[in-house]
Amino acid sequence: MTKPARRQPRLLALAWLLAVLLVAGHNAWLWLGQRASPDTDILALLPGTGGRDAVRQQAFSHMVDAAQQKLVVLVGDRDWSRAQAGAQAYLTVLRAHSGLIAPISGDNAQWQNQWLDSLAGSRSLLLSEAQRAQLASGTPQAWSQRALSGLYGAFGGPRLGAWQDDPFGLFSDWVQERARETPVRPRDGQLFVERDGVNYALLLLELKAPAFSMQAQEQIVPLLAQARQAARSQASEVITGGVILHAAAASAQAGSESATIGAGSLLGILLLMWLSFRSLKPILYIALSIAVGCLGALSVSMLLFGKIHLLTLVFGASLIGIAQDYGIYFLCARLAAPATQDSTTLLRRLLPGLALMLLAALIGYLGMALTPFPGLQQMAVFSALGLVFAWLTVACWFPRLIGPHSLRASAQAQRFGRSIARWPDLLGGAAWHLVLPAAVALIGLAIAGITRLHSSDDLRALQNSPPALLQDQIRISQLLDMAAPVQFYLVRGASPEAVLRQEEALREKLQPLVQGKLISGVQAVSNWVPSQQRQQDNLTLLRRALLEPQAATPDAVTLAAQAIDESPQWAQALRQRMLDKAQPLTPAEFLATPAGTASRHLWLGQVEGQYASIVALRGLTDYRQLDRLAAVADGLPGVQWVDKVGDISSVLRQYRITMGWALLCAYAAIFALLALRYRRRAWRALAPPLLASLLTLGLFGWLGLPLQLFHVLAGLLVLGLGVDYGIFLLEASGHQRPHAWLTVGLSAASALLSFGLLALSHSPPLHAFGLTMLCGMLLVWLLAPLFTHPGRDPLLVQRAQPDKESA
Amino acid sequence: MNARTFLVSLAWLAVLPAAHAAAPVQEIQATLAKPAVMCGRFDQTKQLTGIKKPLQAQGRFCVLKGRGILWQTLQPFPSTLRITREAIVQIQDGRVAMKLDAQQEPVVKMINSVLFSLLAGDLSQLDTLFELDGSLREGHWQVALKARQPALAKAIGDISLAGASYVEKVDMKEASGDRTEIRFSAIKTGEGAMTADEGALFD
Repeated sequence: MTKPARRQPRLLALAWLLAVLLVAGHNAWLWLGQRASPDTDILALLPGTGGRDAVRQQAFSHMVDAAQQKLVVLVGDRDWSRAQAGAQAYLTVLRAHSGLIAPISGDNAQWQNQWLDSLAGSRSLLLSEAQRAQLASGTPQAWSQRALSGLYGAFGGPRLGAWQDDPFGLFSDWVQERARETPVRPRDGQLFVERDGVNYALLLLELKAPAFSMQAQEQIVPLLAQARQAARSQASEVITGGVILHAAAASAQAGSESATIGAGSLLGILLLMWLSFRSLKPILYIALSIAVGCLGALSVSMLLFGKIHLLTLVFGASLIGIAQDYGIYFLCARLAAPATQDSTTLLRRLLPGLALMLLAALIGYLGMALTPFPGLQQMAVFSALGLVFAWLTVACWFPRLIGPHSLRASAQAQRFGRSIARWPDLLGGAAWHLVLPAAVALIGLAIAGITRLHSSDDLRALQNSPPALLQDQIRISQLLDMAAPVQFYLVRGASPEAVLRQEEALREKLQPLVQGKLISGVQAVSNWVPSQQRQQDNLTLLRRALLEPQAATPDAVTLAAQAIDESPQWAQALRQRMLDKAQPLTPAEFLATPAGTASRHLWLGQVEGQYASIVALRGLTDYRQLDRLAAVADGLPGVQWVDKVGDISSVLRQYRITMGWALLCAYAAIFALLALRYRRRAWRALAPPLLASLLTLGLFGWLGLPLQLFHVLAGLLVLGLGVDYGIFLLEASGHQRPHAWLTVGLSAASALLSFGLLALSHSPPLHAFGLTMLCGMLLVWLLAPLFTHPGRDPLLVQRAQPDKESA
Repeated sequence: MNARTFLVSLAWLAVLPAAHAAAPVQEIQATLAKPAVMCGRFDQTKQLTGIKKPLQAQGRFCVLKGRGILWQTLQPFPSTLRITREAIVQIQDGRVAMKLDAQQEPVVKMINSVLFSLLAGDLSQLDTLFELDGSLREGHWQVALKARQPALAKAIGDISLAGASYVEKVDMKEASGDRTEIRFSAIKTGEGAMTADEGALFD
């Protein structure tokens, strides 16, 4: 070898060191200096401009933030006083920890008075739909009768203001209708709900620490359990709901899982390496290549995209599985190579295979990058970059790090490697008359299973909060008749008035659905503050029906005055009094009052030059009929139906379908690539992953498991690793076969340990991914030698002659 | 302003339970008959600020233990109010003029119990809402009720009850100066106290 040729690898290694240092520095600057954090908005993964909508985004955070820091506790008992005592006991436990969690303050009685005061000045402008209808049809006689029955009524008197302020009871009716938006009532200085004879005291608690902070969860969850215990000593039932409980359950599960699964897989891999090499150095080398791969992928992706999505990181983690192959391949080849061959020469011999592995994987990801989904593009680019960086690390550094004497295969490893000789030659063997029917039956069974497959992209299927928590959550929504937090209408307009008018049009269109009991009603600011147009309409209606004479009949106020012997002046004063209570009400004024507190989360105000609000749905239980609600928004300009669960489910669905096609294309493209080198034997490398995937899918079909995005993602990994095994075995000459088999064994075993063990996870996505990997990788491992058996295949026999490359 | 508004605000503004009734209250309680059915005549006089003439009304009432109250105004015009655990219904000219359902408005049940206690003189129940100050002389008694919570006191003012075996008089005085006085007479109890028409209104 010439001198420049010897220096070249060292230069390469140094250059790569420089690149790695740059990348590491960039990462440190990004995460530590800039405090960059991954993007978590799932809608950013949707193609087109629909994915990015600031108003929509703010609407979600408005609704979610409003709920996130709150906890709802219902303490119930048939005996109200026991329920009250239970609620007091609950609060007593929390009192010592008011820095962590405290009741949302507010003096109910005081509050009631104030909120009526704040609206009273506009009372003549506030009418419900039913009242509008009554005013349009009622006669002055009927109205005067109504005023008199209020006046003579058994327990009349100035309650929500003087009789003179509301002689026809319109305002109190309206207040009554507003009150009906919630079943919660103040009772004995507490909030109260009743259902089926059980009286519940309602406690609203506010967290003082972020719900997703692990530290807060660790402190608050036991505290709540203690408070619950105290309440249960008094009352028969305690129902608790809040984001923090779900977050805590998820963290606890993830914590204990990552402890057991993570430790299990780490121990397994360490043991595997120790048994194979009697040294832990190999694992350090492989970890080094993977780490450089991850850092490089992060760094360049951030430069390319500006930000990186959380899902990219999650899915990108799977690249570790493929990146390890390059290192393992080199290490095992080093074991197989004679000590006289130096590592640089060895690498040169391995390069075609290594390059083919990288190219095959890149082609696989190329399919993803060509889809119109920004998320998939990002994931593909991220993964491909990671592989390139890991590959370059192996190519540039490994020959310098690992010399001919660095490693020695253990006796077990050698024994395992030799075991490939015992693998039957099914394809070339004489037993084909047995193999063929068996294979046909197996494939038939798999296809029958696949036809039974159904798919599920429902986000709710990916959620696995403990059933007790979910039950409590559902019970609370029912008891409190809460609005659906992730399905609502978004209303926009150029001004607050335009928004209110659109809300009114929307509410009118929703009326048939309320009557049809699909929803029980809506929460909307326009319920409280009609548009200025509607306010003036209301006043006109009220004036005509009550304050002005009709044909020969005097007005209702005059009729009432005559009935109680009062003068025309008295009637005139009463009319004037009603007209005086007509101060126009604006959303801004209303939301600033105590009555507006409960509606503040519905009003988004000015966002990007527009005004926007939320119309939330109450009593929605039948989620199969969301289409009918969505259809209501059609034809109403500025009104948009929003269903976050549906959005996410549809992202998952589109990604599943697109990735499925990308996977098929990857098979085709990789086949074409392999055919360049292996000609007619190319199919032997692809058959194992293809067959393994089909059998796994068939098995899922028979087991009745629904097909999800995560199965498809695992399928991509099965392909990536499976092709590598085909390449290992096809590249190997006869005496190298045991070492190639060791490479396959090590790679497959560590993939099973790192990904297959995820099948034990309770998190549905991880479980789906893990289970596919478990079945798929086991099958690939078992099938690969069958298809690459040198047997009687003349080409393979020819290849089995040492160092006789077929051109 | 009508009965339901008053009643709703009464229940809305309800207060914390407090100490047990004072001794005279328990004695008064003992003098009261507690019939299953009680009907009679009422005469109501209202004196409202801003209205010259006192407003007078009269009619019949029935209090049915465990079922509810029927309040039939006959003069100056007929109007019927039926208060049960399930609903508050106002009937005028044979039509339902107003209905407040317990399903929709949870305070209906509370209203029913408070009003029943008021008319039946069940002072132990009123004790949770009001401070009671009573006196008893030769079988005749009088109790002043003062709301325990300032907001409630402001809304409904002072109430006083007087009677012997039955509640005979309810007096309500409000901060605004409005006064309502209701007298009960011709009280009958047991079978036959309620007319067939009245019974029909409860079915």
